[in-house]
Amino acid sequence: MAIQTLPLDAGAPVRAATGHHSRRREDTRAGWGLATPFLVLYGLFLIVPTLYGVVMSFFNSSLVHNGLGGFAGPDNYMEALKSSDFWSSMWHTVLFTLMTVPPLVVVALVLAMFTDRLKRGRWFYRLIFFAPYVIPSASAALIWTWLYTPQLGLWDKWLTDIGITPPNWLADPNWAMASVALMTVWWTLGFNFVLYLAGLQEIPRELYEAASVDGASPWVQLRYITIPLLRRTTALVLVLQIIASLKIFDQIYLMTSGGPNFATRPVLEYVYDIGFTDFRTGYTAAASMLYFLVILVVSLTWYVINRRQQKEA
Amino acid sequence: MSNSHSEFSRRALLRGAGLLGVGAAATACGSSFAAGVAGTAPSKESLAYWNLLGGGDGVRMVAMQQGYQKKYPNVDLKSVTLAWGNPYYTKVTLATLGDQPPDVAIAHLTRASILANADLLEPLDQSELEPYGLIEQNFTPAAWQKAHTNGQLYAIPLDTHPFVMYYNTDVCKKAGLLNKDGTLKDMDGPDALVEAMTAAKKVTGAYGGVAAVSDFATQWRMFSSLYWQQNAAFLGSDGTQIVIDDAKAEKALAYLQNLTKVKKLMPTNIDYGGATTLFASGKAGFYFEGDWEVTTFITAKTHFSMTRFPNVFGGRYAVQADSHSFVLPKDSARDAAKRKVIFQFIRSMMDQSATWAAGGHIPAWLPFQKSAAYDKIKPQSEYKGVANFAHYDEPGWFSGSGSDFENITGSAIGAVSAGQISPASAVSEMRTKLTKYANTPTPV
Amino acid sequence: MAATTLASRIRTRPAAASRSTDWRFRYFNWFCVSVLVVFAAIWIIPLIWAVDTSLKPDGEIATNPTTWWSGHFTLHAYRTVVNGGNIGTWYLNSFLVALASAVFAVVICSMAGFAMSQTRFRGRQLIFALIAAGLLIPSQVLIVPMFKEFNLVHLLNTYWALILPSVAVPICVLIFAAFFNGIPSELAESAHVDGASWFRIYRTIYMPLTKPAISAVFIFTFVWKWNDFLWPLLVMTNPRTMTLPVGLSQVSSAYGIQYAEIMASAVLGALPLLVVFLLFQRRIVEGVATTGIK
Repeated sequence: MAIQTLPLDAGAPVRAATGHHSRRREDTRAGWGLATPFLVLYGLFLIVPTLYGVVMSFFNSSLVHNGLGGFAGPDNYMEALKSSDFWSSMWHTVLFTLMTVPPLVVVALVLAMFTDRLKRGRWFYRLIFFAPYVIPSASAALIWTWLYTPQLGLWDKWLTDIGITPPNWLADPNWAMASVALMTVWWTLGFNFVLYLAGLQEIPRELYEAASVDGASPWVQLRYITIPLLRRTTALVLVLQIIASLKIFDQIYLMTSGGPNFATRPVLEYVYDIGFTDFRTGYTAAASMLYFLVILVVSLTWYVINRRQQKEA
Repeated sequence: MSNSHSEFSRRALLRGAGLLGVGAAATACGSSFAAGVAGTAPSKESLAYWNLLGGGDGVRMVAMQQGYQKKYPNVDLKSVTLAWGNPYYTKVTLATLGDQPPDVAIAHLTRASILANADLLEPLDQSELEPYGLIEQNFTPAAWQKAHTNGQLYAIPLDTHPFVMYYNTDVCKKAGLLNKDGTLKDMDGPDALVEAMTAAKKVTGAYGGVAAVSDFATQWRMFSSLYWQQNAAFLGSDGTQIVIDDAKAEKALAYLQNLTKVKKLMPTNIDYGGATTLFASGKAGFYFEGDWEVTTFITAKTHFSMTRFPNVFGGRYAVQADSHSFVLPKDSARDAAKRKVIFQFIRSMMDQSATWAAGGHIPAWLPFQKSAAYDKIKPQSEYKGVANFAHYDEPGWFSGSGSDFENITGSAIGAVSAGQISPASAVSEMRTKLTKYANTPTPV
Repeated sequence: MAATTLASRIRTRPAAASRSTDWRFRYFNWFCVSVLVVFAAIWIIPLIWAVDTSLKPDGEIATNPTTWWSGHFTLHAYRTVVNGGNIGTWYLNSFLVALASAVFAVVICSMAGFAMSQTRFRGRQLIFALIAAGLLIPSQVLIVPMFKEFNLVHLLNTYWALILPSVAVPICVLIFAAFFNGIPSELAESAHVDGASWFRIYRTIYMPLTKPAISAVFIFTFVWKWNDFLWPLLVMTNPRTMTLPVGLSQVSSAYGIQYAEIMASAVLGALPLLVVFLLFQRRIVEGVATTGIK
């Protein structure tokens, strides 16, 4: 699936190299010709911004001035590393990740395993659980903000009905992040659910049948057949989910604007605020780079683990 | 809206503002394709207007826009209302950089100067403004002066909105704080206010007065008024220096803490909505906030009046204030004809100052401010003299209404009011945090 | 082979084999169904509640916000939103941007994928490394320099600002490359011997055999662009150039407490992709699962 089976090492087992000089030249011309449109856009909108961002992070660049501005050396990085606002936004990002990843992986796994056992109606559950995923973040945020509205919202009403005093969901600093996390689970669970469903198709039915013959209970089967055989899918779901959660911006921007009193502001919103409100693009480029490092570490860790697993396999 | 209004007023009143925004936003679908592909400007007869006015201000602005439309039906006014504060100025900045800014926008004067420094506003030319009467003589001098950046005019002020004192007339009467004509007795000097609130507290049985503690901007407004009355400054050299006078700052902070934690005349822990509710329900005799909560208390049928924030420390009178103003974000496609439409619009807004003044703001337009009609709007005109003593947040790229500066100072001041830290440690906290900003090379 | 195996996996799923009639299985299956029904209910309620609210008169919501039934269901809020707002414009913008991005992505990435997979050109390894490195860079960390870049060339507030950065996506190239790798190279060989140009081989032989990859990349790019938020929020500031999510992000300040109108906007915003999803459920699920990397 996705990255796992993609030819990361470019080892295309294509034609045997014919070795002809002319052929090689023709290949080169055709190869570059076909790849050029991509390479131009890739260069302009990925490589250039990346390099520009790196350079900018060493200058006092401003949003509203052309050019790089004065040279800052490592000042921007030092400032970010010493800034409590930056670190608290990093922490909010991590906190959001910690709050969303476990339910998004575990609930998706359980629901997918249960759905997989159904004889019919599988499409129905796939439809229901995946549907929120195709909704734009703004729609989902509007709906959940309405559900969370104090006194008027549905959640408040239900909790009140069963005798629980509802929290002030989005306005209470202690609850705001959890409220956004809850909405996120609803919104994006379907994606992991679908990945798990696909992974479950891979497991040979005969394994279950053999186990049944041996008298293994359903729990035992799930525990000792399904879950271990889904290990690769779980690894993929986990890394995709961690990275997706680390990129949190939309829901928080839309539902709390990072509040109350910055209690939920994630890194990307910190970048947005400092870069586009305070105009300090040089500094935010540095903050972005530090944030990028975190994501990079996660990606590379997964890559290494995955490599090792493939070798063992 | 110049402030984070209470939930109550925002909910009740945004409705009107929203209706207009939607009504006015109806656009032709066909031309948007062209706009998207080529970035072409909208057609000639339209006027795109952005503002940050919610609550009662929003409703009154809608009425004024309708007044304008009645007079100039050939102009297609497209107004957009956005949430106030940093997000608003971010949007104005992005739109201006994106070369599709609104034709005219509301900005606080303290923020307009930052936008002007960032080269995002168009300078305004006297000769161009004269045909519309938008000239110096017609505006509150303090506001007009603040509308200049580096000696150049960039904004047309609509009003001045100072920090004021609301008082419950029933409570104050019972507490013997009213003159025979029903006005509030003189509250100047450090003791008068404390005594008055002590008397008011006896009447209400709860609190003498109230100011939102968890609302940073409110805390900053109250503190800075007290501080500036001692003839001291906070930021120097356009925000590159922190020039806090420790002794005076601590004196002002101690005064606040005395009212809250020590004498328990004001709550130590209350948010914006809670503070308005407390006053509206008669559980506090005094309420300290900007002048924009008039509508809330009229709607709540509170028996109240307003007056200027007292001169507690007896220096030259000063009170924290800001002004809404009209600015023209830079737009390469804007021609002389469009500018005329814009100035006509601004003038029309000035002519409807009566509507605007009802919301509590002191109109900057002198022909109205000096009229008998304004004096009849009570209690809104009671504190009009304050306009000339308005003290704006000192300039700096991180300063101004709703800025980082107000957040930083306000959170330290709020902690003092809540009794969590001492005045001295609040001062040192402010100094430390602000120094970082002051030392940062200015991005504008 | 990501695309193919996944597609076949989902399609050729045998019905759950008849299991032992062991009572444990029967109870366990009942348990599974109960859990699924409960979760499905939780999942569907927010959507139904949004639709329900949008169909009620505002006055009724104010007095009785949490009843499901209304005696006066009305489409008033929808009329207000459709007639009064810019939502038509936002639909059009989103659609055009998503469509153009998806088409360009398919064309440009498939060409590059073909080059990577079938031609042994000089510098191929270098380019491969470059593309693989690109996988690691999330576009979100580039918003600041990218904004300045588009500002410099005066393309902010145009569709190009949204389309251009979403065309050159490394994962799409890799998907195509992987797919082309699975096509027997003899096809290309013989065509080559017959004197066909590489471009012709790509266009007339390989592309027609690549439908699953095409649809995966197309769907992935379309859905991504349709729902994209942060970047469009920065570059589309004119209500006439905004995409749907950006426009929707402003409706709550426009409608205030008119919850019916807000919910109608939310429902209208959600509707197009929901309908498309209902129609092409299987295909979309495959597409998203295949490109799962984003």
